[in-house]
Amino acid sequence: MPYHEFECSKCIPERKLHAVVKGPGEDLTSALPLGYLNTIPGSISERGCAYCGAKHVIGTPMKDVIHMSHGPVGCTYDTWQTKRYISDNDNFQLKYTYATDMKEKHVVFGAEKLLKQNIIEAFKAFPKIKRMTIYQTCASALIGDDINAIAEEVMEEMPEVDIFVCNSPGFGGPSQSGGHHKINIAWIDQKVGKVEPKITSKYVINYVGEYNIQGDEEVMLDYFNRMGIQVLSSFTGNGSYDDLRGMHRAHLNVLECARSAEYICNELRKRYGIPRLDIDGFGFGPLSASLRKVAMFFGIEDRANAIIEEEIKRWKPELDWYKERLKGKKVCLWPGGSKLWHWAHVIHDEMGVDVVSVYTKFGHQGDMEKGIARCEEGALAIDDPNELEGLEAMENLKPDIIFTGKRPGEVAKKIRVPYLNAHAYHNGPWKGFEGWVRFARDIYNAINSPIYQLSGLDISKDEIPTDVGFKTRRMISDVNLSEEARKVPGCGYTGPYDIVPEIQKRNKAYREQQLKLAGESTPAETPVPAEAAA
Amino acid sequence: METKDKIEQLVDYIMKKCLWQFHSRSWDRKNQNEGILTKTSQLLCDEHVELETPQDRCYWVDAVVLAREFRARYPWLTSMSKDEIKALMKGLHERMDYLTVTGSLNKELTDPLY
Repeated sequence: MPYHEFECSKCIPERKLHAVVKGPGEDLTSALPLGYLNTIPGSISERGCAYCGAKHVIGTPMKDVIHMSHGPVGCTYDTWQTKRYISDNDNFQLKYTYATDMKEKHVVFGAEKLLKQNIIEAFKAFPKIKRMTIYQTCASALIGDDINAIAEEVMEEMPEVDIFVCNSPGFGGPSQSGGHHKINIAWIDQKVGKVEPKITSKYVINYVGEYNIQGDEEVMLDYFNRMGIQVLSSFTGNGSYDDLRGMHRAHLNVLECARSAEYICNELRKRYGIPRLDIDGFGFGPLSASLRKVAMFFGIEDRANAIIEEEIKRWKPELDWYKERLKGKKVCLWPGGSKLWHWAHVIHDEMGVDVVSVYTKFGHQGDMEKGIARCEEGALAIDDPNELEGLEAMENLKPDIIFTGKRPGEVAKKIRVPYLNAHAYHNGPWKGFEGWVRFARDIYNAINSPIYQLSGLDISKDEIPTDVGFKTRRMISDVNLSEEARKVPGCGYTGPYDIVPEIQKRNKAYREQQLKLAGESTPAETPVPAEAAA
Repeated sequence: METKDKIEQLVDYIMKKCLWQFHSRSWDRKNQNEGILTKTSQLLCDEHVELETPQDRCYWVDAVVLAREFRARYPWLTSMSKDEIKALMKGLHERMDYLTVTGSLNKELTDPLY
């Protein structure tokens, strides 16, 4: 096994089993680090807790809900708005955060009374919102408050409201991934099958493991709408609480982030016979294949092909412009979980960059299998890295850029390695054809920004040249371009600063129109693929 | 080209471009490999493909994309007889089962719970 031992972690020998180098001829039976284990004491992990994984990754992107933490105020405040999961209802779920504000006296005497009072108060403060999720924290779990019982009591007293309880305290797993698992299972156990949704199409899917980071879900929803496919629910980005209670009526679960949401797809498959189709929404090639597969399931591949043709024609020249200028740039792909495999191959294939390292904060060995299988030889794969290992890897690998979260991102900036936020993005959406060009644009700008060049100057010591301007594109990224590439007309991304409002408007209008039409007719329940019928 | 080399080319494509082979439990991976590779083999040999259930259709869409990509990327496939393709796909199936199930180092695969 080609394990990699960091100099800085020699004092924590167990860490050696958490990093491997994919050498020549290595495959997954010889190169795979350990994963999804408790962090080794002494290693300062970049992970989050199981409460955060349940609430802030999966629960709170639901848009029409009061999301209440039952615990000390710090649990909710310190994890509030950690991601940009926007919504089409004026971002209600991002604007407010709610906690019962447990203190020492509640730990001694119990906090159930406090919880009930908070639930009622929150519903009164937001009278239009009739749905709530409540999240257990370490404190309320340890004192044994019965949150479910309180929720039942309130629902009896206020029959117009519905409450979901997620018992995933911070200590409930090695990382946030434990929380993903718990909330998936809690949702299907408590809520799925409790509402009969309105079916507006012959083709019905749940779009699962998609959190609408900077509008990703809206982009994909637009494609599905254009194919005439009804997205019954989005789990959970821009998702509606009641739509998600009707997940059992979909014909197909289209799964994007398997790390955070495969559990509910697996359960929907077992309990309701709805198959699970794993897709990639990133990159022209993988996205095209994904749209085709979803469409093919319903026998409408021609509709997917029309979209793919139109989008590639519009955006491919701009992607290629960046590819010419990003060729050979070294990338450390250091996200949380799924993006290590969503991006590992396709940024190499379609943007020309070389992935020199992949890591995952909370991924399981299955995520590493996907990531290692997809990256090129020589890449260093690290599970649950600590800050010193990240620094050592950057010093050795000398990446041109890293894609990671904001905490390790700030560390990278200190040693002047530019970073892009892999979790919340910089100028997303990055999904979809146009989104992929926006991602390329953000990579290009991060590596070549004149501001970044200037940031290397220490104005207290260095002589600052005042007779020259900053370096331009021609002096930085174009200086090594081939003659042939120079002759290609065109430029980088030409779309607007924010593409989401227009798509949101379109998606809302489509949904309203479909609901109106559905009131007038009943679509057939079972689709028949054309090729199958033939 | 040796059969083994051909199989490795097909394996490389699947490992780099597909996700279906990496479900989280051994039994699930076996089902996925069986469902999709059997249908891919049938498509490559112009045989009838069962599409009775939604799960069948789900395997089938991955198989269609795989068969198309195999044909487009590996011209040597077109010069093979149906029996040769079947034998090749059987070898591919065995190799995928080894890499993702029996030879896998993933300790989570045998967890009895999801």
